[in-house]
Amino acid sequence: MNELLIKNACVIDPLRGINAETMDIAIRDGRIVEEVSGAAEVIDARGALTLPGGIDSHTHICGTKVNFGRYMSPEDMRAGRTPRRGPLHATSGYSVPTTYGNSYRYSVMGYTTLLEGAMAPLEARHTHEEFLYTPLQDTMANVLFDGNWGVMEAIRDGDIKRVAAIIAWTLRAVKGFGVKLTNPGGTEAWQWGKNVSCIRDPVPYFEVTPAEIIRSVVEANELLHLPHSVHLHCNNLGTPGNYTCTLGSLGLIPDLNRKRQTLYATHVQFHAYGGSGWKDFCSKSEPIANFVNMRPQIVMDMGQVMFGRTTTMTADGPMEFNLYRLHHDKWSNHDVELETGSGIIPVTYRRKNLVNSIMWAIGLELALLTKSPWQCLLTTDNPNGAPFVRYPEIVALLMSKRYRDAEFATVHPDTAARAPLPAIERELDWYEIAVMTRAGQAKALGIQDLGKGHLGPGAEADIAIYPLRIDEIDPSIDYRKVIEAFGRTEYTIKRGRVVARRGECLVDGSNATFWVRPKVSEAYDMGKDPDFIEKFDRYYTVRMRNYPVQEEYLNRNRCIETEAEI
Amino acid sequence: MTFLMITGRTVNQGVTVEKKTSAAYAEETSTCFMHEFDMLELGLADQDTVMLTGVCGTVVMRAVASGEVEMGTVFVPYGPYANHIIAADTHSTGMPDFKSHEVEIEPTDEEPKTVHGLMEDLGGLAYDR
Amino acid sequence: MIVKDVVCPFCGCLCDDIEVEVEENRVVAVANACELGTTKFMGEERLKGPILRDGDGWKEITYDEAIRYAADTLLSAERPLLYGWSGTHGEAQCVGVHMAELIRGVIDNTSSVCHGPSILAIQEVGHPGCTLGVVKNRADLVIYWGSNPIDAHPRHLSRYTRYADGFFLENAFRDRKVIVVDIRRTQTANIADEFVQIKPGGDYAVLSALRAIVQGKTETIPRTVAGVTREQLVRVANLCKGAKFGAVYFGVGLTMTRGKYKNIRNAIELVSELSRHTKFTISAMRGHYNVYGSNEVNTWMTGYPFGIDFSRGIAFYNPGETTAVDILARKECDAALIVGSDPAAHFPRRCLEHLAEIPVVQLDPYPNATTAFCNVQIPVAVTGIDAVGTAYRMDGVPIRTRRVLSTDYPSDRDVLFQMYALMQEVRGR
Repeated sequence: MNELLIKNACVIDPLRGINAETMDIAIRDGRIVEEVSGAAEVIDARGALTLPGGIDSHTHICGTKVNFGRYMSPEDMRAGRTPRRGPLHATSGYSVPTTYGNSYRYSVMGYTTLLEGAMAPLEARHTHEEFLYTPLQDTMANVLFDGNWGVMEAIRDGDIKRVAAIIAWTLRAVKGFGVKLTNPGGTEAWQWGKNVSCIRDPVPYFEVTPAEIIRSVVEANELLHLPHSVHLHCNNLGTPGNYTCTLGSLGLIPDLNRKRQTLYATHVQFHAYGGSGWKDFCSKSEPIANFVNMRPQIVMDMGQVMFGRTTTMTADGPMEFNLYRLHHDKWSNHDVELETGSGIIPVTYRRKNLVNSIMWAIGLELALLTKSPWQCLLTTDNPNGAPFVRYPEIVALLMSKRYRDAEFATVHPDTAARAPLPAIERELDWYEIAVMTRAGQAKALGIQDLGKGHLGPGAEADIAIYPLRIDEIDPSIDYRKVIEAFGRTEYTIKRGRVVARRGECLVDGSNATFWVRPKVSEAYDMGKDPDFIEKFDRYYTVRMRNYPVQEEYLNRNRCIETEAEI
Repeated sequence: MTFLMITGRTVNQGVTVEKKTSAAYAEETSTCFMHEFDMLELGLADQDTVMLTGVCGTVVMRAVASGEVEMGTVFVPYGPYANHIIAADTHSTGMPDFKSHEVEIEPTDEEPKTVHGLMEDLGGLAYDR
Repeated sequence: MIVKDVVCPFCGCLCDDIEVEVEENRVVAVANACELGTTKFMGEERLKGPILRDGDGWKEITYDEAIRYAADTLLSAERPLLYGWSGTHGEAQCVGVHMAELIRGVIDNTSSVCHGPSILAIQEVGHPGCTLGVVKNRADLVIYWGSNPIDAHPRHLSRYTRYADGFFLENAFRDRKVIVVDIRRTQTANIADEFVQIKPGGDYAVLSALRAIVQGKTETIPRTVAGVTREQLVRVANLCKGAKFGAVYFGVGLTMTRGKYKNIRNAIELVSELSRHTKFTISAMRGHYNVYGSNEVNTWMTGYPFGIDFSRGIAFYNPGETTAVDILARKECDAALIVGSDPAAHFPRRCLEHLAEIPVVQLDPYPNATTAFCNVQIPVAVTGIDAVGTAYRMDGVPIRTRRVLSTDYPSDRDVLFQMYALMQEVRGR
């Protein structure tokens, strides 16, 4: 039996409605309990801000395209390196760190759970292999269905149950957690060097539209009773005027689930652009935020851009090619048979660049204009908008008008005419930040009942204690202290064990992988469906029996079973 | 005569690659494929032995006519014979010049060595000879 | 008993449709595999147990003794080299990286002498590629450049290109054009629709000429470029621009010849240029079945695909300095661990002369050329035959190999892990 008692913690625990109460937290064998014995080890938090462990609901940390980002970028690897020391392995990389680099740096910031935003099913084994070397966080992966031939054929045939059945079979085979659509239809078109312009543009040969894909997959997702909703990267990322396409996509979504949103729209900053070209490019954060404010069925994440060098990587292959034609730096692309694709290019976001300045403003505007913090979560779409190590600065920007103004004074001078940011007075409070960095994520991912994102009895003892007395500092003024504190916990506790202390990781760990197995009836078991099997054999280059990811690839295997309606 | 020596994979080299101490592997990797006109010039018949001299040594192989190589070039399957005369300079890339080596070729009465023999010449000790 | 859907541990095609018939724990027949794969499955005389060089002879030792010897040898080295890795599974490669980190060694894999230059080019300009099934289902044009699949990747043509029907190509042989570019008229050239024969060392010039034509600057091209006529260059460029989906597969014919990584860079830039006109991809024909896996494992664990030097504690990468041939030729390393490769057969002689002077430990199932330079060789199970583990196909698709025989041989991973555990006891965690 392993016991730990955290005394005098100033707890914010939004899922339980606790706002800055000083209390003790008792932990036994990795879980939070009512009380522990006198033999428990004691940590005195001395009134420091104590939150559930951070959860990133959209980040790119493990898998084929992430690793290719490292592989092609020795210059990025050189930009951040630490030696092997004690139980810690060597790390390399700044915007795309090695797996240990990701894990240690997230841990120092108090993050204990990560969702890899995009996993191609055919290459899922690779993602899981990297999860094994991400020791200090629990992991889960969204599975890409944007260009899935079986799904598109079933949609064309009007058979939503078959869409659900294919998703169910695939999630189980690849040990995936959620359903991801990246530029739906566009990744298939890109395998012919084409794209789809918006949600009404049919996919070549398959003759289904992105709108049909989005609606059908949303319905199928709910038939399977998955913990998470569909996770959508809208069509047309990064193009001027794309906000209408984004509004059109969000408008497709009915409210189908009482416990959580029906659609998670990711990195919406990249989808909130006005203008007819780069010359009149402007922010359209207001119509997007207003729309989301009226629709509880939608949750989004920011996709905040921060100035500096980073690497962009996404399943959205055609978008990366367009970006390559703008930047003329190196470009990688990787199309995946029958499923999806990906692209990678390095970028530098510059304050002196008007478009980059407006992008920076838009992310903040979305967070400040969305009334409920539960509906706009804090991300950079790591590393696309910026590496996750920039999160503390974003927290401070959201909490301090003064900091925003100071930064705004350094960006391109025309930004004020193109973005509403300078006029926004709102400053988020500690509770709202706690929602946007852990509680909101747990709810949106549907993992609060598994003990994530809160500190109630039974919860996993994943806890972040920040060196900060919220009764003593005013974040609006002392924003530097906020940045410092959120960048370096006093203690990060994972599964009841102190894993990081004051900026240093202390132990080697072992991750748990969460995945979903929807239980479907015999008739909808694609593993026994003759048509599915025949097409698999004929068009994939891997045998169907060699496709599923074996359980050997999971350190701690956390299978979530759902009762599907098919 | 001076030739450009190219090395590369062949099916026979691949088939014998896990039995590198076999006679079949030695035979395949000690074959110097040449254009028949070049062989004529040197007075060589198929399976005649030739001495190849590179910047860092000599090695004996057997000449075999091939329609795949151009005049002035010879092809040798990857292996210890070609490497016996290939220089280790990589021009800061990690990769030696496996496919662009100038060699002198002349007829010889010597026989090709065994793989064991080559390894022992360089300081090794054969295990299963 | 017939084991189905077996994964072939020979070349980078990593065919996973092999059927192996086993009787009394021996492979008696192999179906679907090429000659290379069949020979590997049918097996050869393996080393029975670990051997130790003893003066002018060899003696048999136990696994425990061999592992202890290996750990002590590497621990007492100032600059150990850990080389090979493409002939083993990913799980073993991971232990290798941890070991290199612990003993501050240099870890390099066989890509430094196959597609290392391709990786250097990718690090300059990126890599527009795809999985093999995308080509099989869509490509109406395939170009083999400096690669000879009939000899090196025999089933590449039948599984993915020349003879492989796909979703958008009902009759691949009729609807798909194949161009072969080489300095030799290889067997593969004989089955091509168009053979472009280049003078040795002329690849860079020919690639540049094609780029110019694609950009509409045909008038700048001389009558012949490296032995190739302008007419043929224009014809090839037009075939490329006219294709709906083109795929280039290049081999070590580009990486080992003059220009090395600059050739690959030029080829990738040609493909990036063609991508502005139509769909085009380019990929390397990776040799060993898991050489790509060694790049992947090294990359996620250290940040670099090959040639990683841990002597300063951090991962340091500088090909040409931290790569195996250079380190051996400079007589820099003072001990070597060889896993899943045979440098004595594939390295220039100067490297072998140094191997003869330092302690060498090898993990390999078979006696090979490197055995002659070993102080200790430890026989291990063969991944894909009597050991399971992860391998990455040439296009990055990871596949778990199957076991068809059960033997008492330990896997590479098991032996390395025991060595690593002994080293940890001495060096601490």
